[in-house]
Amino acid sequence: MRILLIEDEPALRQQLQAGLSDAGFIVECAEDGKEGLFQGQEYVFDLAVVDLGLPKMSGIEVIQSWRKQGKDFPILILTARDRWQEKVEGLEAGADDYMVKPFSQEELLARIRALLRRSSGWSQSQLNCGPIRLDMTAQAVSVNEQLVEMTAYEYRILEFLILHAGEVISKTKLTEHIYHQDFDRDSNVIEVLVGRLRKKIDPDNEYKPIETLRGRGYRFALSRDTEA
Amino acid sequence: MNMSLNRRLLLAASIILFIFLGLTGLALDNAFYRSAEQSVRESLQGKIFALLAASDFNGDTEKLLIEEPLPDPRLSSPQSGLYAQIYAHNNVVWKSPSAVGLSLPAANAVKIGSWKFQQIDSSDKKSAYFILGFSAAWENNQGKPFSFQFQVLEDFSKFENQVGSFRNSLWGWLVAATIFLLLAQALVLRWSLKPLRSVATDLDRVKAGEADRLHENYPDEIRGLTQGINTFIDSERNQRDRYRHTLADLAHSLKTPLAVLNAGIDSSQAKDGAQMQEQIERMRQIVDYQLQRASAAGRTTMGVQTPLLPVITRIVDSLQKVHVDQGIQCPIDINEQLQFPGEQGDLFEMCGNLLENAYKWAHKQIRVSAKLQQDMLLIRIEDDGPGIPESQRAQVLQRGKRADETVTGFGIGLSVVNEIVSVYGGSMHISDSKDLGGACMLINIPLTNVQT
Repeated sequence: MRILLIEDEPALRQQLQAGLSDAGFIVECAEDGKEGLFQGQEYVFDLAVVDLGLPKMSGIEVIQSWRKQGKDFPILILTARDRWQEKVEGLEAGADDYMVKPFSQEELLARIRALLRRSSGWSQSQLNCGPIRLDMTAQAVSVNEQLVEMTAYEYRILEFLILHAGEVISKTKLTEHIYHQDFDRDSNVIEVLVGRLRKKIDPDNEYKPIETLRGRGYRFALSRDTEA
Repeated sequence: MNMSLNRRLLLAASIILFIFLGLTGLALDNAFYRSAEQSVRESLQGKIFALLAASDFNGDTEKLLIEEPLPDPRLSSPQSGLYAQIYAHNNVVWKSPSAVGLSLPAANAVKIGSWKFQQIDSSDKKSAYFILGFSAAWENNQGKPFSFQFQVLEDFSKFENQVGSFRNSLWGWLVAATIFLLLAQALVLRWSLKPLRSVATDLDRVKAGEADRLHENYPDEIRGLTQGINTFIDSERNQRDRYRHTLADLAHSLKTPLAVLNAGIDSSQAKDGAQMQEQIERMRQIVDYQLQRASAAGRTTMGVQTPLLPVITRIVDSLQKVHVDQGIQCPIDINEQLQFPGEQGDLFEMCGNLLENAYKWAHKQIRVSAKLQQDMLLIRIEDDGPGIPESQRAQVLQRGKRADETVTGFGIGLSVVNEIVSVYGGSMHISDSKDLGGACMLINIPLTNVQT
């Protein structure tokens, strides 16, 4: 999952970047409104965290521009001044949730995960597809109630595929969402990772959860359980 | 005595006007009377000279003869109002034909060659006369002097009529002049005090929020006052803005370091991290609380009004978006004419905190309503959540207290609302919602200017 973080305070930006990376997200940072706007326009993100009080261009203007251009990734706004008017203006501009500074990392992570789920149509933090269960909060995957150990990249790929279950995801798109911008896109690392993932969650080739569509990409084939 | 300026001026001027015109009237009346009397005297004197000229003393018979015709025809026609009589040793020796049948009063004797003018009543007191007496003496052939006293009488009623008609016209004109002057004065006062009245209406407009400051085009005498008021209004506004900005900047600059500290503790996982986090959370609450409390503009001299419905609709729409998963229904029952008697920022803060709270606790239903009741604006926000236990209600309204530490911003939100409401001279109540079963937050804001 790729997150764009626009925050002008260097210490807070570094901490948030570290915290979000630890939590398994790919984090790109921008330190002012213009740079943030550019990154959001040019690269693919699953979510943006935008501080409202930014130099060069206010957070609200950045959000408005993105939304005008049809960018529909969820946006979480950070505001230092907890003036209600500002929150309302941010939400009206197109943000989806707000956090008032200072906040705890746990709460920020919980809100980000909730927004990601919501944007892909899930309403619970546990994603159930037949025998496979992915817990976004614990970042744990289990098959038939058996915990499966996996690397961060494997988890990211699986999470992305499950969140977009039923959709065809190209290798390029998968690469964009799980790696930093400067990743070497020619490598066949994705194929290797998907192969390993298949072995881990379906060692007996029983459920065939990840389909390969030649020349087009991958698709998570198991349908979602109806939610309680 | 707190009399209006208009009444003071009108009263003082009226009293002076009455005294002045009254004295003028008296003086004129007196002068006219004197001069009328003088002219009567002079005319009587003329008659006596004419009579003297017409008199002829016979030295032999020692009799006084009055030649006909008499010098004034009125002396010949009976009861004409002009009479003459001649005394010698207190006996009437001659009477003008006009005095036939009248008993005329007699004047006292005077020395030869001297005059006596007096006003005298007749013996029956029915009529009064001006009487002028003069004594003259003739000698008989032996050189013995005989003195005669000439008296001419003028009926007083004619003079009285003359004076009366003069008085009527004099006082009539004076009263008319008084009325005219009083009216003119009232108009002049009205016109002169008009700028003062427009200052008052101007101030009312400023109070009602229809104007920012007083007009500039006032007369010199009160321009100092109005400019002073304007300066005061401006400086008060500037000072308030500066104060609010300083506080906002202070809080702003404290919050980011607090966020850094807070985030730092999460990753460090130190042993006493929890305690530090708790302290940082307390600091955050203090900053939040003081910032919101200080920035509550409250009711100012510029009675600003904010339409209620649009602000609440914007907050509800925003919160609905954030809490879209919960599928909460939030009908708003507010007349679009309703106005909040204060600044938009304060309304956002109050309703934002209350509604955020409601969305946090509600299961499926929130209801917002507002109405006017006896000069009070009542805003009610109900939800179907767990409600607030009666024992905790007083506590959550206190500054910075939290009823439930696990829900961020709960207590401080309500205590901030309570603080803003009290700045407006209103009150806040927490009860159980009868319809929805959860909490019911009710705030009362007085519409009239109850300054705290």
